[in-house]
Amino acid sequence: MLMPRRVKHRKQHHPNRRGVAKGGTTLAFGDFGIQAIEGHYVTNRQIESARIAMTRHIKRGGKVWINIYPDRPLTKKPAETRMGSGKGSPEWWVANVKPGRVMFELSGVTEEVAREAMRRAMHKLPMKCRFISREAGEF
Amino acid sequence: MAEITLVAETGRVSGSSASRRLRASGKIPGVVYGHGTDPISVSVDARELRNALNTEAGVNALLTLKLADTDHLTMARVLQRHPVRHTVTHVDFQIVRRDEIISADVAFHLVGEARELANQDGVVDQQMFSLTVNATPGKVPQNIEIDISELAIGDAIRVGDLELPAGVTTDVDPDDPIVVAQGAMSVEDLEAAEADAVETGEGASDTAADAEGSAGEAGDDDGASGSADASGE
Repeated sequence: MLMPRRVKHRKQHHPNRRGVAKGGTTLAFGDFGIQAIEGHYVTNRQIESARIAMTRHIKRGGKVWINIYPDRPLTKKPAETRMGSGKGSPEWWVANVKPGRVMFELSGVTEEVAREAMRRAMHKLPMKCRFISREAGEF
Repeated sequence: MAEITLVAETGRVSGSSASRRLRASGKIPGVVYGHGTDPISVSVDARELRNALNTEAGVNALLTLKLADTDHLTMARVLQRHPVRHTVTHVDFQIVRRDEIISADVAFHLVGEARELANQDGVVDQQMFSLTVNATPGKVPQNIEIDISELAIGDAIRVGDLELPAGVTTDVDPDDPIVVAQGAMSVEDLEAAEADAVETGEGASDTAADAEGSAGEAGDDDGASGSADASGE
């Protein structure tokens, strides 16, 4: 699963949830993509699950790109613990995805296969997404 | 190349709030610059701009921009888009001359069906999607067609293989690949390759996680150094 090898600070503040994506809003590598239309934290497990859903469906051929990286740790205090005594221990690694971000890209398959593969992958992701393609044009 | 006339209004108020109001009223803020002229803030009708850039000439169309007092021959150079809605939020018009050589990005259009490649279970990997060409504004092609019907596994079409129209050149390295025909990987091969790629990362982070457990009671600064040490081991 995707995870940083080491971090400067083990426990961080929660990433900012406001705003829209500043970059990575168009297809960079593949012909098809999944674009977030809402902001959300995406955990490394969700990313891996979506990737597996896609690769299992396309069977042979095709190439998948993952454009997001879960580099922010989120902490959690153990259950039934009194408040205080410091911040909890790191529990999840998340990518802070803003609306407009293209999270996954795919190429080397037909549009029909790509649509179905990405539909399956979208079900593994926590936010509303849409399928985008290079053929759809600029306007 | 076809020429299109576009009417632009000058004297718009600058700033984000004013621009937002402008967009809500169906107009797009923009700027006109080039050839030593002072930049002029303008606004154009969103529908007219969309029609102007959706012709056969594409986004590199020559636009005659009608301002209040003068006309300028321009090209739309930078289209800023909303990240979610993908609507144009701002447009740059660069003043051009008919006889000067300009650079423009032209998209590739793959034609034909790589049947031999399909029979071999191969895939067409497109590595470049547009080419920066140098030409006079009237000679910028709408797109560059690439025939992929003869591709077999291992073949590549490079920039040097392109036959550009007369008067069109490029500074891109001729050895840069545009399209490469590759053999397909099975799911097992694909997952094995991906597992190899992340194996080192997982191994290191496992040690980092162990260190987190042991150094959990320590302060933040201690924890950071603990995880750094663990991954170094």
